[in-house]
Amino acid sequence: MVSKWLPLAFLLAAGCSGPAVVPPGRPAPGETRTFEGTWSASGSRRTLELDRGHKASILSLTGSLLLTGERGLGVGFQGEAIGFSDSLTGGTGQCVWTDERGDKVFSQIRGQPIGTGSHVTGTITGGTGRYAGVTGEYELRWQYVIETDEGAISGRAVGLRGRVTWPGAGAPRS
Amino acid sequence: MTAPGSNRRALLGRPATFALALGLWFTPIPSGLTSQAWHLFAIFAAAIFSVIVAAFPLLTAAMLAAAAAVLTGTIAPAKAFAGFANGSVLLVVVAFLVASSVVKSGLGRRISFLVVSAFGRSTLGLAYSIFLTDAAIAPAFPSNTARSGVLFPIVLSLAEGAGSTPHDEKKRRVGGYLMFCGMASLAVSSALWLTATSVNPIGVEIARQFGLKIDFGSWLLAASVPALAAALLLPVVLYWLFPPSVRATPDAPAAARAALRSMGPLTRDEKVVAVAFLLMVTGWVTAGTLKLDLTAVAFGGLGALLATSVLTLDDIAQEGGTLATYLWLAVLFAMSGQLNELGFMSYVGGRLSSALEGVAWPAVYVALLVLYVLMHYLFVSQSSQVLALLGVFVDVGLRAGVPTPLMAFALLFASSYFSTITPQGGSQNVIFVGSGYLTQGELYKLGALTTSFCLLVFLLLGTPWLFLVVR
Repeated sequence: MVSKWLPLAFLLAAGCSGPAVVPPGRPAPGETRTFEGTWSASGSRRTLELDRGHKASILSLTGSLLLTGERGLGVGFQGEAIGFSDSLTGGTGQCVWTDERGDKVFSQIRGQPIGTGSHVTGTITGGTGRYAGVTGEYELRWQYVIETDEGAISGRAVGLRGRVTWPGAGAPRS
Repeated sequence: MTAPGSNRRALLGRPATFALALGLWFTPIPSGLTSQAWHLFAIFAAAIFSVIVAAFPLLTAAMLAAAAAVLTGTIAPAKAFAGFANGSVLLVVVAFLVASSVVKSGLGRRISFLVVSAFGRSTLGLAYSIFLTDAAIAPAFPSNTARSGVLFPIVLSLAEGAGSTPHDEKKRRVGGYLMFCGMASLAVSSALWLTATSVNPIGVEIARQFGLKIDFGSWLLAASVPALAAALLLPVVLYWLFPPSVRATPDAPAAARAALRSMGPLTRDEKVVAVAFLLMVTGWVTAGTLKLDLTAVAFGGLGALLATSVLTLDDIAQEGGTLATYLWLAVLFAMSGQLNELGFMSYVGGRLSSALEGVAWPAVYVALLVLYVLMHYLFVSQSSQVLALLGVFVDVGLRAGVPTPLMAFALLFASSYFSTITPQGGSQNVIFVGSGYLTQGELYKLGALTTSFCLLVFLLLGTPWLFLVVR
């Protein structure tokens, strides 16, 4: 019997793994909050080999962004990014974080070419719903990035730290 | 024909399945997940639940789940149906068709007589011959799916040689026992050799990011004691868990030798199949070096068997079971991949593992290992789980104070032996599952028990061994 109920118990546990953490309350206009966390992402990468070891690639990543801190930006998001990485000039891209209500945070990212140990900075440019009009910045470091022969890519970003500011009263909301 | 008991289970299980799906769907979405990820989990969990409680067969559950996921707009059709073009899924299907040529040509019968003449005094002896054969060929096969394509025809021929058929309730147990031994053997041999599955090098690369360098020799040394112990004990454990109807066959070796003599020399079809297999095996073994696609090699073999009329279009048309396997495997593969892509897997893994912060490292080590193995209920691909979770779990373990080699090796080995936990837990299982010798209930039960047994062996024997040799 145990063998039959084990998977069912696990499915239930997985479903109940949602955080007991209460999402942060509504911020005051103009309030700035800090956040930190990790981002585990996987996706695909297509690389163009250029001359003398020069490589350019386009990549698409999605994964779970888990944040810590009771009064941060939120408990977590699904993070999605598309980017362009050049082994000589670095990387750039666009990122969308979506929360459980479908509200989004938009950011632009730039930094070293994606790879283990590379450093990335992001500029938060706005959002939707409860994140409408937010601005801010963040940084992260890729703890590791693994790529398979089939072009699948997977990585974990740690040291994700940043701050976000809600628009002041009367400020236009994008 | 359906048994009254299974009708009752279906009657109870079906409303429970729909209740679970709707209950999860309308549960408030946990913070940090999107509605898309949560709703897909509701559909996927309900599908797996329905199979476990015998409400629906795997195929029915997969079809309903695919329809629900697309029609509710949870995932795009292109994502839901992506599994149908996946190389691993196609490799399973083609290997299935190729395997039928081994049986049809008579080569399988000949091989089974050879094996029985050496090991056939008991069913247990046959099981050991499967483990031995697999362990011996595994280091040369970088794909355990391809290896299952080689092992399956031998196991099938052994089952048929023992008079076992899937449709005879009493006789099928010998075949069922041997089929599960095939699955378990692939799981353990993949843990024994670094080069026995494509998952291992990916895991080694992740471990390297945490400062642990692993090569062929250090892997073999670390795996040797627990993996060989599991390989030695599993045939006996499975024999006890799923007793075959025929156990002792003292006269079988002599009978097999006589049968071999009466078969005479190899026929034309046997020779063609032997050459085709030899070429396919060569292609699979050298695939990494020569940059050959594994599935294309299998397609080449199937094409050759059709061109030489060893297999005919009528033979292919009769393989309805293969179509059913293709349909459910492709759907579940894509759905599990989407759960991963939507961040659900790393979310659950991250949440479960972060709950262990502040706990003593030995407890963290055991808990992470158990959670990592249980997480495989949600995955249809071993490499997906390694890519999504291995690094997260190693990192949590290290931060709790677990020694790096201990945590990394334990999770790396688990990434192989957890493959039998569900019928869809590794594409190498599927060809054995599709043989029809085992019911879905038996597959889930044996899967859970076999995986638990391997977990125990690797914990109790593997942990002190790792301390001794790699710390």
